[in-house]
Amino acid sequence: MVSCRKKIAALLSLAAGVWGAGYPQVELEIRDHLFTPSELVVPANTKVKLIVYNRDPTPEEFESYQLNREKVIIGGQRAIIFIGPLAPGEYPFFGEFNPKTAQGKVIAR
Amino acid sequence: MPVVLTVPTGFPPRVRTSGLLALGCAAVLWQPGARADGVVVDRVYDPYVQPLEKEIEWRAVGQGDSDDDALDNLQLQRLGIGRSFSDRWAGEIYLFGQNTEDQNFDFEGSELEAKWQLTEQGEYAADWGMLFELEYERNRQQWEAATTLISAREWGRWTGTANFAVLYEWSDDYVNEWETQLRLQARYRLSPKFEPMLELYAGQGTLGLGPVMRGTKKFRAARQLIWEAGVILGITEESPDQTLRLSLEYEFY
Repeated sequence: MVSCRKKIAALLSLAAGVWGAGYPQVELEIRDHLFTPSELVVPANTKVKLIVYNRDPTPEEFESYQLNREKVIIGGQRAIIFIGPLAPGEYPFFGEFNPKTAQGKVIAR
Repeated sequence: MPVVLTVPTGFPPRVRTSGLLALGCAAVLWQPGARADGVVVDRVYDPYVQPLEKEIEWRAVGQGDSDDDALDNLQLQRLGIGRSFSDRWAGEIYLFGQNTEDQNFDFEGSELEAKWQLTEQGEYAADWGMLFELEYERNRQQWEAATTLISAREWGRWTGTANFAVLYEWSDDYVNEWETQLRLQARYRLSPKFEPMLELYAGQGTLGLGPVMRGTKKFRAARQLIWEAGVILGITEESPDQTLRLSLEYEFY
């Protein structure tokens, strides 16, 4: 029985690994109303999983009309945003709560 | 008389195929001769929810029909306030009223609505959500419950959105009935200030298709005003000849 449970757990871990490994993963941080890094290089023509950590206590919104994404990230939390597949090029994004400081771009190449 | 529908050739091939498939579904869902006791043209919902978001919304539709007095000069207005409860759930409460050729504007009823975002945007081939609505019409003392499956998909700068709704109406004085509705939208992301759209509505004796425009005006602190305006033209004899639809949605945090 234990062995059966171990096999199931191993299979689930493998499935989770395969599932998670489906898309290249990129991380972005919001701190002091700035995106870090402000330039994200991602592979072109590939869907990418972007994890955005908001280290500020206040909410921020990752917004990009070019990427067709809009996502509010509550202060101290993280959000997952799937982007692409993107043609080679630059795609600006900004933080809608602090648009003057929170700016960046995704570079697909 | 047969109805011939064509999809503009400017759409990408996959959009054209999906568009033809959707029109086929609409033709199946459209029920000729069904009672036109509801206004089918309203809005097409997207499946997304933003945490912390609040909104005030006004929607209006005005119908005109030269052959059927019951469909002519009908205006329906809806005012709602809503907010999200998490990054997956949002709710809204509406008051609505209508006026017809014979009747001045009157408060008709209220509605509760809950939206559930099922998948993360862009994670799968299509994004999915559900909408649950409960409406009470006080003059007819009639209840209506609806469950809507929402799906959206991107094709480059095009976004296609589909709403498929199953409704049940019940009251002591009228025949209880099940109904289905299909609402489809193709939106071209030209610029935030102006996006042309094509919408199709099918259900309850209505089959209509028409152009709609949408724009967003942004304000400080992530506030924004989204406007939509369009005309849906009836493409069958039972459908209202034309339905003007307008909406304003103010979103804030």
